[in-house]
Amino acid sequence: MIAIPYLTALTTYFSYGLLFAFGQIRDFFRKFVDWCSSSNNLQGYAPICLGLEDFYTRRLYLRIQDCFGRPIASAPDAWFDVVERYSNDNNKTLKRTSNISRCLNLGSYNYLGFAAADEFCTPRAIESLKKFSPSTCSSRVDGGTTVLHNELEECVAKFVGKPAAIVFGMGYVTNSAILPVLMGKGSLIISDSLNHNSIVNGARGSGATIRVFQHNTPSHLEEVLREQIAGGQPRTHRPWKKIMVIVEGIYSMEGELCKLPEIIAICKKYKAYTYLDEAHSIGAVGKTGRGVCELLGVDTADVDVMMGTFTKSFGSCGGYIAGSKELIQYLKYTCPAHLYATSISPPCAQQIISSIKVVLGEDGTNRGAQKLARIRENSNFFRSELIKMGFEVLGDNDSPVMPIMLYNPAKIPAFSRECLRQNVAVVTVAFPATPLLLARARICISASHTKEDLIKALEVISKVGDLVGIKYFPTEPEKQQQDERMKLE
Amino acid sequence: MANYYVKAVPPADLNRNTEWFMYPGVWTTYILILFFSWLIVLSIFGCSPGMAWTIVNLSHFLVTYHFFHWKKGTPFAEDQGIYNGLTWWEQMDNGKQLTRNRKFLTVVPVVLYLIASHTTDYQHPMLFLNTVAVLVLVIAKFPNMHKVRIFGINADK
Repeated sequence: MIAIPYLTALTTYFSYGLLFAFGQIRDFFRKFVDWCSSSNNLQGYAPICLGLEDFYTRRLYLRIQDCFGRPIASAPDAWFDVVERYSNDNNKTLKRTSNISRCLNLGSYNYLGFAAADEFCTPRAIESLKKFSPSTCSSRVDGGTTVLHNELEECVAKFVGKPAAIVFGMGYVTNSAILPVLMGKGSLIISDSLNHNSIVNGARGSGATIRVFQHNTPSHLEEVLREQIAGGQPRTHRPWKKIMVIVEGIYSMEGELCKLPEIIAICKKYKAYTYLDEAHSIGAVGKTGRGVCELLGVDTADVDVMMGTFTKSFGSCGGYIAGSKELIQYLKYTCPAHLYATSISPPCAQQIISSIKVVLGEDGTNRGAQKLARIRENSNFFRSELIKMGFEVLGDNDSPVMPIMLYNPAKIPAFSRECLRQNVAVVTVAFPATPLLLARARICISASHTKEDLIKALEVISKVGDLVGIKYFPTEPEKQQQDERMKLE
Repeated sequence: MANYYVKAVPPADLNRNTEWFMYPGVWTTYILILFFSWLIVLSIFGCSPGMAWTIVNLSHFLVTYHFFHWKKGTPFAEDQGIYNGLTWWEQMDNGKQLTRNRKFLTVVPVVLYLIASHTTDYQHPMLFLNTVAVLVLVIAKFPNMHKVRIFGINADK
């Protein structure tokens, strides 16, 4: 639940209104200037953008473009090199310099610290690079299935706790190519209102009817399910062919865990299929890193389709789908990402296999368990300290994703640039990835952050937070507690 | 005032263009903007309060007609143009009519008209202009006018 101070809500609306008004005035003058200096060698061609479409990009995003898309010059470990850029025309174009600054990395999804060179994974990945070459140069059905791919699928299925799994070369494609295969016209997809763009794209591409339920609210999900089952398909009112409910394990913009046990109970009651997207939670939460199901005590046999990606916790690329043997067999016959897209690169596959072995402790050390304990401690420590300082931090305990609310559009570049000046790199997110009012800075904690790194980050964020004015909640009065204790004595 | 918090529950609306209107504080901001623009008009033009309200009413008419009922589509390309034939008013609340937000937005021009005509003592020509403004705005917001394009004005090509 996000609690905004009322005055902040008013000022945020006003700021966006002002930015919008200025953008419209500039557009009007641009149209006027173009009409005057009419160089009409594009007579008869249709316009690329229809009027309003690129307004947000041109007038709002480009003004603060230097806060997004910063190039880096090293592996995204706990500390990395950020390339400095400058602009001569007020941020419309940015030019790279050859200077780099060493910054603390609070933005990469490096949950278990596999992003940089690892003593177990990297030699094996290099070996497989020499043996199998960087690309298989073929799709899975032609010549792109190596022993690594089969081993990887078995490894993933065993790790997640399902009978079988199928692996794809890209995480986004996993959602957008699987949903059209599983659902078609006459089916119903009920998805959480804050689901990731890949799910939204896949659902739209499938041709099924889409209904949205309020974020993480099982009672509203039940209401929507009852309404839809009673109503049937639109216009014909025939019963739905199948119904699927799509939720995510950890929502990347909120850091919240999904209310999985209640949602599974409701889906079983109304006989709907469940699809769990564990992009951010696989490998990062749970006692042995097996994701939200382990953390919340849900039996994996109750979730019909489990999806995840390898980019976040395993330091690689690609995505997987885990389910029953029949489901995976069907996907292997029909999914276009399996039939036509190039298979996952062999060194990436080897990296995933090695990192899963480290997490499970099968490499002979207990580094995996150490990493899992460290990320849990780091996240809880960081979150409690930020809340004590008076920031508004979202997300549940144990979740390594921490959005700090900024709200006002002007605070987004202020926070981002000031932190970069103090050598802390944060990622800020604004409209339209988040709702208009709720711009935030998203912090991702990694197992490779040491306690000193976190304390430095907390100092910098506290100083910048005071400068920018985002400590919306009162700080915890430590001195008051001490005074009360003195009074009792 | 600084310690008064409101809960921001994200509504189940996929259209990012209209979803921002369902958060708390929008109505207050709208009314405050109208009030402060009246003060600014008074200070710039130095005219009578009634004339200032008429100016605010007419510019409110122009601005809201242009953005709510003329401009179609969304200001970003992410939704791949599924709303390209709908104005902002038609996209609001997913096309559901007579919701609280729609009722509020219909009442505001009427209240502005009452204030403007009262403070100008119902004199012409201000009364005529104000009446035209309020009639056009209120008729454009009727549920029966959903997706109606009179004489093909502003229709899709």
